[in-house]
Amino acid sequence: MGILLFITVLLIAACGLIYELVAGTLASYLLGDSVLQFSTIIGCYLFAMGIGSALSRYIDRGLAYRFVWIELLLGVVGGFSSALLFLAFAYSQGFQFLMYALVIVIGVLVGLEIPLLMRIIRDRYRFRDVVAHVLTFDYLGALGASLLFPILLVPHLGLVRSAMLFGILNAGVALWSTFIFANQLARTAVLRIFCITVLAALCVGLAEAKRITQAAEDNIYADEIIFARDTHYQHIVLTRFKDDIRLFLNSHLQFSSRDEYRYHEALIHPGLSAVPAPRRVLVLGGGDGLAVREILKYPQVESVTLVDLDPEMTRLFSTNPMLTGLNQKSFLSPKVHVINADAFPWVDSNADSFDFIVIDFPDPTNYSLGKLYTTAFYRAVARHLSEQGLMVVQSTSPMFARDSYWCIAETIKRSGMMISPYHVYVPSFGEWGFVLAGHHEYRTPATLPNGLRFIDLKGVPALFQFPPDMAPLSMPPNRLNDQVLVHLYDKDWKDISH
Amino acid sequence: MTVSRRSFIQSAGFSLAGLSMKSESKIAGGFVNESFQQGHLLRDRAAFPATRRIEKTQIVIVGGGIAGLSAAWRLQKRGFHDFILLEMCDQAGGNSRWGENDITAYPWAAHYVPVPGRKAVYVRELFEDLGVLRDGKWEERYLCFTPQERLFLYGRWQEGIEPAVGLTQKDRDQLRRFEDQIHAFRATGKFTVPMEVGLSEDTESLDRISFADWLREERMDSRIFNWYMNYCCRDDYGAMTDQTSAWAGIQYFASREPEEKGPLTWPEGNGWIVRRLLERMGSFVRTGQMVHKIVRSGRGVRVFAGDTGYDAAFVIFAAPTFLAPYLIDGLAPLRTFEYSPWLTANLTLDHLPKNYGIDPTWDTVFMESPTLGYVDAMHQTLRTHVDRTVWTFYWALAAGSPSQNRRSLLSTDWNYWKEAILHDLERVHLDIRQCVSRIDIMRMGHAMARPTVGSIFSSERRNLARPQDPILFANSDLSGFSIFEEAQYRGVVAAEHALHRLSYISRPEQFSRLRDAESAK
Repeated sequence: MGILLFITVLLIAACGLIYELVAGTLASYLLGDSVLQFSTIIGCYLFAMGIGSALSRYIDRGLAYRFVWIELLLGVVGGFSSALLFLAFAYSQGFQFLMYALVIVIGVLVGLEIPLLMRIIRDRYRFRDVVAHVLTFDYLGALGASLLFPILLVPHLGLVRSAMLFGILNAGVALWSTFIFANQLARTAVLRIFCITVLAALCVGLAEAKRITQAAEDNIYADEIIFARDTHYQHIVLTRFKDDIRLFLNSHLQFSSRDEYRYHEALIHPGLSAVPAPRRVLVLGGGDGLAVREILKYPQVESVTLVDLDPEMTRLFSTNPMLTGLNQKSFLSPKVHVINADAFPWVDSNADSFDFIVIDFPDPTNYSLGKLYTTAFYRAVARHLSEQGLMVVQSTSPMFARDSYWCIAETIKRSGMMISPYHVYVPSFGEWGFVLAGHHEYRTPATLPNGLRFIDLKGVPALFQFPPDMAPLSMPPNRLNDQVLVHLYDKDWKDISH
Repeated sequence: MTVSRRSFIQSAGFSLAGLSMKSESKIAGGFVNESFQQGHLLRDRAAFPATRRIEKTQIVIVGGGIAGLSAAWRLQKRGFHDFILLEMCDQAGGNSRWGENDITAYPWAAHYVPVPGRKAVYVRELFEDLGVLRDGKWEERYLCFTPQERLFLYGRWQEGIEPAVGLTQKDRDQLRRFEDQIHAFRATGKFTVPMEVGLSEDTESLDRISFADWLREERMDSRIFNWYMNYCCRDDYGAMTDQTSAWAGIQYFASREPEEKGPLTWPEGNGWIVRRLLERMGSFVRTGQMVHKIVRSGRGVRVFAGDTGYDAAFVIFAAPTFLAPYLIDGLAPLRTFEYSPWLTANLTLDHLPKNYGIDPTWDTVFMESPTLGYVDAMHQTLRTHVDRTVWTFYWALAAGSPSQNRRSLLSTDWNYWKEAILHDLERVHLDIRQCVSRIDIMRMGHAMARPTVGSIFSSERRNLARPQDPILFANSDLSGFSIFEEAQYRGVVAAEHALHRLSYISRPEQFSRLRDAESAK
């Protein structure tokens, strides 16, 4: 009997700490700044435990009955806390509010546990033994949890399943309390039914979470997935490893926060700096707002129109604190107008003129996306380009997809513009290519905005030099009625993966 | 992680929904655009209203399909405005009619024009007018987008309709020999579009046997090869190879030399061309006007439609020629004109079916199906993302006797055809019933002229095709088969002839232009 009681103490202590660690870890993953997250969560949690302890004095009858209920509640709230927080991050604006609310609820319940338990068993032992044993096992449980969590639970179970597992332990404690405190309880059968229901729900949750995490482990993401959503148009995934956040659209890497500045500075500055007095800029694609961040470095730019198909994508990069941190809240600038529309029909039906046009679409992996890399499309875009204006096209890798790159360059050329192909090295992508195009011959810029980390005036001319292994190839243009690019792209990347 | 959970829940939800939907599909629809009732009034010599008014005009065009509209286009282009066009249906366009719903415009029949060769002078001129051909370049967005066609055979897909997978050495041999033969026929310059330009007595012997017999004589009779040849004849002529003149079978392949990857197509098919033509000369077009009598009077002709009589110098008879004996006083019944009954259906898809490893194409064909498959109206969209569409499903009732097929076409109800169409699609699209919300069906008893054995060189056809004042026949069936370029050619030629006879122009242009095209070759 005695040892069972003290194992109960050990378990509930471990459960309490696990929920706290889950919340702290999740917040660090999702929001960054782990010192702040852990400090505030531990603070809130301990404070809430204090409230719980203080509240315990108002409970004077039915101690065992209430103890069983507290354990059950903890099992439910704590067990599902991690899954709930993931969902909240994905589907709502209220992640932080929910997180602190959960931490406080769990803290209050955990704060109630030990005082109640001590009072339940005080008649069985001397008071000083009760205090000594309960606190000893309480701290032992905490030690166990704090070691298990980083070594076994997070690597092998993940956050969702760890929380579920300890929810099961909590509910288990509730069930077994109905046996060890049977003499102090009435209607134990009803209580046990509740316990078994909660246990069953958590077991289903655990099994389900296992399926989900396995699916996640099977796919390509090496790092922890911190956000994933199927929108109407695409599958958006964000991963994080330490300070590196990566965005994947339909499993294709869009950027890594460590080196995206290289990509986006190279996309914008060689072109935009070379346009005399640019006032109006159009961005097609680029729903992450990172290209817009670079464009806003030009005070003379009066308006930036961004056309991206997916409202979820632009909303996410307008509101999520971690992501607006990356794009420096570029979508919130009053100069920026976001339009959620399919690019080709929009370009076709709009009549505005722009001084700089950025075309930053996903690679031409299928015939639908391939339409956005055709002579017909570039001709339609060119009609929007002012006389001295320039457009820049993300054109896949001249190294890994050399045929595709030069096919895109040829396509832009055949649409009736002068082209200047260039390339940069982006560690997470490898060698990456762009094509500048306009009505006149391109001349490298004389000035650049301050504070760039990658592009400088000395280096710009070198970007336009292609070494022999990326040198121009003679390729046919990509047309709506003859989409050679999709085949070339498919073949290029297959050759690499073999 | 969250997303996997979500998609799991969604897929579970969908499969549950799927179960309930499978049990009872709620597919709306019915027969649309029916016009045979009006045709039967003529056949049955029904009483028509007495004439109350007489209008005078120089030229009356009867029929608002491509032939009639092309005649009107030509007249207007020549600056001639003293004409009217009478169309029986409420919508002009004939076999190029179209429909539209909240998803897209879609065709009711003809849905493409092969990229015209150099000899199709008038078609090229029309396309220059419509901005389809600019400075010798075809407008990219009107050319069929990649991927164009796919064929389902042996439980898998292939790109293109000519069978390319699972061929035996024999199949390959026959395909290659056929290509060589066609190449030789093409080189003679006697198979052209329009057909009248190259037609030569040297090829008459080919019109005396069926295409099936010719293929047999040439030892091109493998099962796969036969399927492909029959598919082509059903597609262009609504007939099987054994009911098709060998001349017409060869014409299908030897008359075209594409100069660009095509064909030309639009969401509403050739309805796009009709729309552009109506924008230009809709004011000359009177729809819902059924002509019920045409009589020669003095030096001209009088055309009766409803309660109006039109006194004109010329009639361009662009309606199907089989109607002529019922309308024109003194015209003997026709002996050699035969027509294929067709059924087309437009299916509204609220979801796209699964594709099983191949991108959706413009045209989809199933091997060993009696139907011709379907065309996707959203294929020519510039959008990258499509979640609803309209499919136009084609079914030429090719096998057996046309009159029997016509009777069964008209005596069966919508539900019968709806089920037949869905059964056919279910060969490949197992989930089709969950995707389709509406099926509208158009039945056409005399949809297309059949180039039967002897029809090309028949004296009846050639007599009617020769302009004889004051009634000028212009329907595409005067070429022996119903295709856009033939209709357009005959409409233009009739217009030119009438203008010449009215002394409005000194000499019809077509002969010199066509000769120029000939000598340029």
